[in-house]
Amino acid sequence: MTALQSLQGLSWIQRRKITGILFVLPTVIFVLIFFIIPLLMTFFMSFHDWPLFGDRAFIGFDNYVDLTTDRQFLKSLDFTARYTLLVTPPIFILGFILASLVRHNIPGIGIFRTIFFMPVVIGLGVSSLLWVWLLNDQVGIINRFMLDMGLVTKPQLFMAKPDSAMAVVILSVVWKTVGFTMILLLAGLQGIPDELYESAEVDGAGYFQKLLYITLPLMRRTIALALILSVIGSVLSFDQFYIMTNGGPRNSTISIVYWIFNNSFTYFKMGYGAAMSIVLLVILVILSAVQFYLLRDNT
Amino acid sequence: MKFRKLAIFALMISLVGGIMPLSAQDEPVTMSLWVRDSTVLVEALVDGWNETHENQIELTVIPASEFVTKMGAAVAAGEAPDIASIDLIYTPAFSSAGQLTDLTELVDQLEYVDDLSPAHMTLGEYEGRNYAVPFAAEGSFLIYNTDLFTEAGLDPENPPTTWDEVLEAARAISALGDDIYGYYFAGSCAGCNAFTYLPFIWASDGDVLSEDFSEATLLDDPIVREALELYRTMWDEGLIPEGASIDSGENFTNAFASGNIGMAGTGAFGIDNYKSNYPELNFDVTYIPGKEGGTASFGGGDVIGIPSGSEYVEEAWEFIAWALSEEVQLELYAGNNQLPVRLSLSDNEYFDADPRLKLAASTLSVGHTPYSLVYNDLFNDANGPWLLMIQVAIFDGDIDGALDEAQQRFTEIMEG
Repeated sequence: MTALQSLQGLSWIQRRKITGILFVLPTVIFVLIFFIIPLLMTFFMSFHDWPLFGDRAFIGFDNYVDLTTDRQFLKSLDFTARYTLLVTPPIFILGFILASLVRHNIPGIGIFRTIFFMPVVIGLGVSSLLWVWLLNDQVGIINRFMLDMGLVTKPQLFMAKPDSAMAVVILSVVWKTVGFTMILLLAGLQGIPDELYESAEVDGAGYFQKLLYITLPLMRRTIALALILSVIGSVLSFDQFYIMTNGGPRNSTISIVYWIFNNSFTYFKMGYGAAMSIVLLVILVILSAVQFYLLRDNT
Repeated sequence: MKFRKLAIFALMISLVGGIMPLSAQDEPVTMSLWVRDSTVLVEALVDGWNETHENQIELTVIPASEFVTKMGAAVAAGEAPDIASIDLIYTPAFSSAGQLTDLTELVDQLEYVDDLSPAHMTLGEYEGRNYAVPFAAEGSFLIYNTDLFTEAGLDPENPPTTWDEVLEAARAISALGDDIYGYYFAGSCAGCNAFTYLPFIWASDGDVLSEDFSEATLLDDPIVREALELYRTMWDEGLIPEGASIDSGENFTNAFASGNIGMAGTGAFGIDNYKSNYPELNFDVTYIPGKEGGTASFGGGDVIGIPSGSEYVEEAWEFIAWALSEEVQLELYAGNNQLPVRLSLSDNEYFDADPRLKLAASTLSVGHTPYSLVYNDLFNDANGPWLLMIQVAIFDGDIDGALDEAQQRFTEIMEG
């Protein structure tokens, strides 16, 4: 009996199931190859002393135990947490303001949406390199501007102090990513019917009351999505520190992924880096679960 | 019917398979050579080889800060180049992991093997076998601006020979004007300071590592503290430009070229750069001084080796032996302001014409080079303890804290 003949013998429900599976199969294969299998390989590597080149050895949980006494790992956790807490509010507040500004479909509004979104497209590595030169003390236009306006008397070395280094990195990242949050929030804003605002105005509601009682509650899901994406992005940040600060000054801006990178590709301790990656994954899963729970829709 | 098809197929395969090896032996091969961007003479060398040989070399230049990572990843992926020019201090890490071909027999056949730079030969060895030979030699020394020396009332024929004299000269030159500074060093470049700052310590009979390179002696050796105090004093008194604190190496040679710096540490690459690109700059060179006299240098540069699994070991060795030959060492190395890696050849007509190169070459004989499997983690890593110690001690002024932290971190890394 050929395959076709056996297919024709199935019931309509069974054929639907097979069709469904076939539709999902490409994505399942993709996730399997690019996520599940690498994840399992990383998990496997984390239990080994696995140098980039040379022989590897099984060492059980030793990598995980070593993490607890790794001073830089703990410093990186602290730094990444502080960075995430500092960078998320500006992205959101600015993103929301921009979304509100470009919300209505007046002629020419597309130009502004494009302008605000453009930095998102250029890639974090390119953006970081751009800002390195903008902030440079000898040829950067930011120092040139500040000197000409009389704001400072000599060129500023932004990367020389931990606070200013963190501040300019945050500035560059907010510039680069706010457009993406804006688009997400924009979609949420546009989903709110105008009639709700009109009837609220009839009842005498002012701007902030409309914001608090209509806009934000109805945008709960959108905000949840944008927040989770933004937080995950910040926790996984690496490019901007690698390129702009080299982890300095005094190793004060080494994020977790930066430390994973160093351990895996500079010190060639890939097993140790793998263990750190697994711990980071667990942290992110917990963080995302908590956010989902807090921002769940009660309707 | 099927059997005949199979037989014809098998015949064709064996014919093709039989012909191919014959033709491969007659075909010239193209070998890949990887080098870091700070090794300057390689392009001229490769061009010189390609013009006169059938076997060709394809050169790939990699940014120095990424070389180890890229090389390590390529080796791990089985895509290592056929020949690699490696910073000599990384060689123990590569050879101990079995990543380089054992060249001992080939090296022993070289008649001039005892003339080859000792620092390179030592670093190229692992457990008594040779895995690499010298390719590019760099010894560190001080370069100074003779015009500024004269202006400041110092004698350009008698450069500083002790730390006190360095300090006095730096003060005199800085006093010349607001934008003029007596000294420069790249404050965020780990490797630059291993090259130019460690010799201050060595010249004073001190060291950061024990003699067998197994322990850190940062706290035990008082010279280390005093070296930090020397640079700290210069920084504190404003004898070094502020921008030096964030210079991660891009300005390492350019700062001196501006003509506003009195003294700086450098290598022969600096002499070549300034002679070729800044002909109006008047400079001379001297040895890096010890505290009360004496000299030392960092024996650096590149070794060349053949990564394991290379298909072209014989052909690669042909290139290496050619590079080490007297003609190439004199014409292409010395003729281009590069130090020959055969010590006896540093006495040549080109260097007779420029005594600064003679001094540069002579630093190879007082060259120290730390032998460590974790050299990168300790001394070259931008987030490593050597650079952190320098920055905290000199720019933040906390010498005690810097030494404590560095000793602890050095020990952690060396214990694995």
